[in-house]
Amino acid sequence: MTYYLTKAQEALGQRAHAFADEFLDPIAAELDRGLVFPKSLIGQLAAQDFLGLAAPEQSGVDGAGFVGHVEVIQALSRSCPAIASIVNNHALAVYAIAYWGSEAQKKQYLPALIKGEKLGAVAIQETGPFLGVGGDALLATRQGGGFVLNGTKAFVRNAGAADVYLVFGIIRPEPDNTRLTCFIVDAGTSGLAVGPRLDTMGLKACPVAHLTFKSVAVAEAGVMGSEHNASGMASQILSAGAVAEGAQTVGIARAAAEHAADYAKHRVQFRHPIARLQAIQTLLAEIVSDSHVAWLGVQHAARLIEDNAPFEPEAAMVKLFLGRFGSKMLVDAIQIEGGMGICEVVPKHISGALPLARMFRDIAGTTLLDAPDDFPEKIIAAGIA
Amino acid sequence: MNSEQAAIKQAAKDFVAKNIIPHAAEYDKSGEFHGYLLEAAKPSKIFAMAVPKEYGGLGYSPLTQALVLEEWGYGCCAMATTLGASILSMESVLIAGNDDQKRRYCKPMLTAGIGAFALTEPAAGSDAGAGEATAVKSGDDYILNGPKCWITNGGVAAVLVVFAATDVAKGAKGLSAFIVEPTMPGFIMGDREEKLGLRSSNTVYFMMKDLRVPAANLIGKEGDGMRIAMETLDVARPTIGALAVGLAQRCLDECVKHLHQRYPAKTYPGETLQFELADMAIQIEGARQAQHHVMRLREANKPFSTESAIAKTLGTASAMNVTTQAMRLMGSHAYTSEFGKFMRDAKVMQIYEGTNQIQRLVIARSVLAPPKVAAPAMKVGAK
Repeated sequence: MTYYLTKAQEALGQRAHAFADEFLDPIAAELDRGLVFPKSLIGQLAAQDFLGLAAPEQSGVDGAGFVGHVEVIQALSRSCPAIASIVNNHALAVYAIAYWGSEAQKKQYLPALIKGEKLGAVAIQETGPFLGVGGDALLATRQGGGFVLNGTKAFVRNAGAADVYLVFGIIRPEPDNTRLTCFIVDAGTSGLAVGPRLDTMGLKACPVAHLTFKSVAVAEAGVMGSEHNASGMASQILSAGAVAEGAQTVGIARAAAEHAADYAKHRVQFRHPIARLQAIQTLLAEIVSDSHVAWLGVQHAARLIEDNAPFEPEAAMVKLFLGRFGSKMLVDAIQIEGGMGICEVVPKHISGALPLARMFRDIAGTTLLDAPDDFPEKIIAAGIA
Repeated sequence: MNSEQAAIKQAAKDFVAKNIIPHAAEYDKSGEFHGYLLEAAKPSKIFAMAVPKEYGGLGYSPLTQALVLEEWGYGCCAMATTLGASILSMESVLIAGNDDQKRRYCKPMLTAGIGAFALTEPAAGSDAGAGEATAVKSGDDYILNGPKCWITNGGVAAVLVVFAATDVAKGAKGLSAFIVEPTMPGFIMGDREEKLGLRSSNTVYFMMKDLRVPAANLIGKEGDGMRIAMETLDVARPTIGALAVGLAQRCLDECVKHLHQRYPAKTYPGETLQFELADMAIQIEGARQAQHHVMRLREANKPFSTESAIAKTLGTASAMNVTTQAMRLMGSHAYTSEFGKFMRDAKVMQIYEGTNQIQRLVIARSVLAPPKVAAPAMKVGAK
């Protein structure tokens, strides 16, 4: 049932599905070792028009924006959620530049990002209780006509692989010194260092590291939007990210449900395939229902983004729902496969692929809060109270 | 908890802090068996904590064992599983074995040797009676043939309790239990499984090919196997609950530690977060009490089969919920740290020693059983 998608959106979803089957399935297990960044895939993804959908006017794809983007993310996540993570973080940079960038910034960055010549990343998180608070907060001071950045951005996805970072920091000393400003920083800029790659539980093809800034100079033209105006921008980017992560979660869960259902049809216990047992049917029905409802929420929020309508409460609802049910869907899918479900390496006495352990580790990373007190409930409540 | 139990719990806590917590992440990463632990545990005889005193063990009561296992689970559930699964296998012998068998089976445990319980087969998981392993009487011996898989401790055990059919036609009722040593000819060790969680807990596949076992190693009578297995699992299940409670408590503690580091006192997090933490504590304490309740029933010689299934299910479900929620709250801090281990370990515990679905069948059977004493009919209508 895809009648409510445009032809272009539908085609993107199908193309992403086919791409994932052909190119991601065979390498997903190897990428899960986290040893290499799949650089050559970036050009392939761009050639399929997967990298620019968050900037509908510049993407070169008629009739497909963020709705097409979540179609792609969902489809890629069925095979390799880590690749979807790379695309997600890249797309958030594309989204932000298309939304807030000056004409010059758009011209400088968007074509290269959309063609996959450059990889983008957004760097928002810090380790303190709130952004700008804490010993290693990212702070900017004025120097000449531009700025000098010092501090750390934490847990940056695509770190080290990206060519351009959107860096959020606070200008000090300023009268209004709690509002963020967004700086566009090229990867090679002197003073910018990528820390050691962090050992993530899953999504291992997507590198995560801290970025440290030591007197990194940014020209005035490197400020995106205006000074002190990026707090709402950061929140909106994270909300768009939550919608795309929702698509990622749904893709993982759907693939897991299919794998578990297939397993249940073949696994015989008590003289019949266990798919005949209501205990198994119930688990499958819950996974499929939860992922279906989540998908409707994702698509709705994506439409709002595409229509330039307010969408943050709807994005928060997706995040809240999948915070509750995201990992649970893999908890239950693995339960159906029992001992086989927890295999990281296929035992010699068994045939067939067993990807659920990897997907369990991956899905845990798609439902994280950005900070312990950043509950989606807050945004939802603010919208109704 | 009496003062003796408090002292034992404290000793376990100290042992875990010194010998388990510092090494858990490293062994989780490699997946290698944590053999060093057996050496470290030798002086305390803790691997013989369930061995009755008459056989030279510590003879701890079920509740005291649970206190120790919770501490071990707090440190590392993979390592705690080695201890728990060893005790589990011994319970089969204590339940149905003769004096000589008990003495022989318990002996390695006095010096931190371990046991393994080998019931599961490729075709016999939840359907434990569907196995293909056979035992055929031949003079004073039995000849065992067939595969066993997912055997915890299987590759590192000094002694095993192995289940095989002495009468295939009778299905589950034809199953018998044997004491097997891995040095016996015909015991063919397979590979160690690479698992999602409990990674350094040894899990293997093995094959028996004309494995000759003395008839003196038959536990109980021919055909007693399934009863022995079920009674053993009844005893063992709440101990998985104990491990799970320890794991969940560890997660809550680590989560709170993280929050204290991140939030100075003045910016103490709001009620949404406070209530999340409270919900974790509610689940942990509920699971802990459910599990202690089973131990007390055992000590009072009362039936505990249903309560045992509840303790295992509630404990491991709570651990899964708490680890998942703590991961979400701590976000990238947890996702890029050793914290993922807790979540991966919890998942495996919902499956082993009887999936939580099998536990629910046990619980539902008891819920649906006709009441022994008819309840008075409800009055309907006017007073």
